[in-house]
Amino acid sequence: MSETSRRNFMAAAGAGAAATTAVALSAGSAQAKPAMPSRKGAKESVVALIDDHRGDTLRLLVGEDEVIVRDRDLVTRILNAAGGK
Amino acid sequence: MSSHREAPEISKDPAADSTDVYAFMHPTEDDQVVIIANFYPLQQPNGGPNFYEFADDVVYEINISNTNKCQPDVTYRFNFRTEIRNPSFLYNTGQITSLDAPEWNRPQTYNVVRLEKMGRRNEKAVQIGGRFPVPPVNVGPRSTPNYEDLANSAITTVGPRKFFAGQRTDAFFVDLGSIFDLGALRPFNGAHLLPMAAMDGINSVQSYNCHTIAIQVPRSDLVKGGNPTASFKDRKNTIGVWATASRRNARIFEDKTGTYKGAGPKKQVSRLGNPLFNEVLVPMTQKDKWNTTEPKNDSDYADTVLQPELQTLLPFLYPGVFPNLEAYDKPRADLAAILLTGIPGGVVTDGEGKSIFQNYTGPVQADMLRLNTAIPPTDPESDSYSIYGVVGGDIGGFPNGRRLEDDVVGISLRAVAGATIPLVDPDYTPDETAAQLRDGTSYTGDPLLTEFPFLAHPGGGYQTVPGTSTFEDPAS
Repeated sequence: MSETSRRNFMAAAGAGAAATTAVALSAGSAQAKPAMPSRKGAKESVVALIDDHRGDTLRLLVGEDEVIVRDRDLVTRILNAAGGK
Repeated sequence: MSSHREAPEISKDPAADSTDVYAFMHPTEDDQVVIIANFYPLQQPNGGPNFYEFADDVVYEINISNTNKCQPDVTYRFNFRTEIRNPSFLYNTGQITSLDAPEWNRPQTYNVVRLEKMGRRNEKAVQIGGRFPVPPVNVGPRSTPNYEDLANSAITTVGPRKFFAGQRTDAFFVDLGSIFDLGALRPFNGAHLLPMAAMDGINSVQSYNCHTIAIQVPRSDLVKGGNPTASFKDRKNTIGVWATASRRNARIFEDKTGTYKGAGPKKQVSRLGNPLFNEVLVPMTQKDKWNTTEPKNDSDYADTVLQPELQTLLPFLYPGVFPNLEAYDKPRADLAAILLTGIPGGVVTDGEGKSIFQNYTGPVQADMLRLNTAIPPTDPESDSYSIYGVVGGDIGGFPNGRRLEDDVVGISLRAVAGATIPLVDPDYTPDETAAQLRDGTSYTGDPLLTEFPFLAHPGGGYQTVPGTSTFEDPAS
C-alpha cells in the first residue's frame, strides 16, 4: 500500500464514529516509498472485501466500523496478491 | 411455525433466530405495555452440557414505530456478556441457589440501551442499565432447586419499568408435523386430498424452551411525544412493534482460541413482527433477504400478501371445501390491512355499526405487530374474550398486538381461508369451513404466569421425558 493511501485509510479507520467511512484516493497517488505505521492505524484484525474485481472499491471491516477505500491500484495489488503474485 | 427456523440462513444460526413477538396491555396494571421477544427456538431442556444461552456476538433489539413512517422511533437494545467463573468443564459444579453462586460456571449479564429517534438524523441513546442478570437455565432439581425464586430474582426493575432476559417455556403452539406434511390439519384429515382419520392436533412445540427478552414499560415510553390519550381513534396511540437480531458483518475464526470474533458494523440477520409473515407468505428465494430488511420497505413483499400462495393451496389440498375462496380473484386487501397497514377505523364495528377499533398506521406497507394502546385488555373471564382475537370478536387480541394465549395459527388459517374478506368486501361470502379452521392444538406447557414476564418458567432438564417418534405410516 502506498504511503498516501495507507495514511488516508488509517485516518479513516481511526475515526471510528461513523459506521461507514468513505475514502476517495486520487489516481496515481501510489508512491514507491515503504508505508510507515500511523499512530491512528488499526491495532486489531482487519477484513478486506472486494465485491467487484473490476471495480476500485475495497471494504475494510475493522472493529465495529466499515471503511470504504476507492483505489483501483490497491484493489489490483490485492487481487494479484490473492492470486499468488 | 411463527418464525422458528423460517428461513434457510437463520435456521443455521439459532441464537439469532427471532421466533415470536408479543405485545399487549398489562392485564392488571393500567397504562403498562408488555413486549416479549423470543429467540433461539426448540430448545430441549436437557440439552447439556453446553446449555442454551444468548449469544454475546448478537445484538438483540425490540423496535417500536410510533409514526406513520414505520421506522424504529424507539429501540431497546440488548447486549449480552458471558463470564466463565471456574475452570470446570461443567455448567455448574454444585447447586445454583442464587444468581451470584460461585458454583454457576457460565453466568450471563446484559445491558439495555434505549434509543430514540430525534428528528431525521439524530438519535438519543440512554443506557438504562448494565450487568442485569440472566438466570441460569433450568438444569434440574439438584442443580437449580427453587427455580421459580431463582428466575424471579433476575427480573430487574428500573423505576416503573421491568426487564427480564432468560430461558422460558415457549408459549407458541402449532402442529408442525402435520402442517408441513402437505398442509394437513389433523381435525380436517378426512377432507384432505390424501385423506386420513381425523384426530386432535399435536403441539409440536410442547416441552421446548426458548430464550426470552421481555420488557414492561409505561405506554408513555412508546407513543410519540410521550403523551398518549384515551381515545382508540387517536392514531398516536397505536404503535408498531418488531424484533431484530444482528451480527457483525464478518466472523473471523481465531486459531489461538478456537472461537469466532466479529468484524465490521452490525447487520440485521433476523426480524419478526406479525407471526407467520416470513414463514408462510414470503417465497423461499426471498426469505433470507426479508430478514435483513426494514418494515418500511415491505411494499416489496406486498404481492405475497395480496396474492398468498396458501390461498391457492387450500382449495387444492381440500377439494370442494373452499369453492368461494377458489373463485375469489381479487387482491387480498383484508390481509394487507391486517398485516401491512393496520385496520382502519370503521371496519370493525359493534352490532349497531359503530366503529370500535382501529390500529391503522398510515399507508406505508410494513410488517409490524400493531397495538392500539388505548384499548384496554379484555378480561379473560368475560364473554368477549377469545383466543381468536379480533376475528373472534375480541379487540384485545391479535392482530391488535398479540397475547400469549392467542391462537395465531388458527387466526391466520381463517384469515387466509377468506374469513376476513368481508371486512373489506361485503359481497363475499366465506366458505363454511373458513371460520372453523384450526390445526387442533392448544398451549400444553406449564401454566402461563399472571405477572411479568408472563411466560412460564422453562421446563427442567432432569424433568424432561423425550417424546415419541416412528417411521411407520400411521395409516397402514
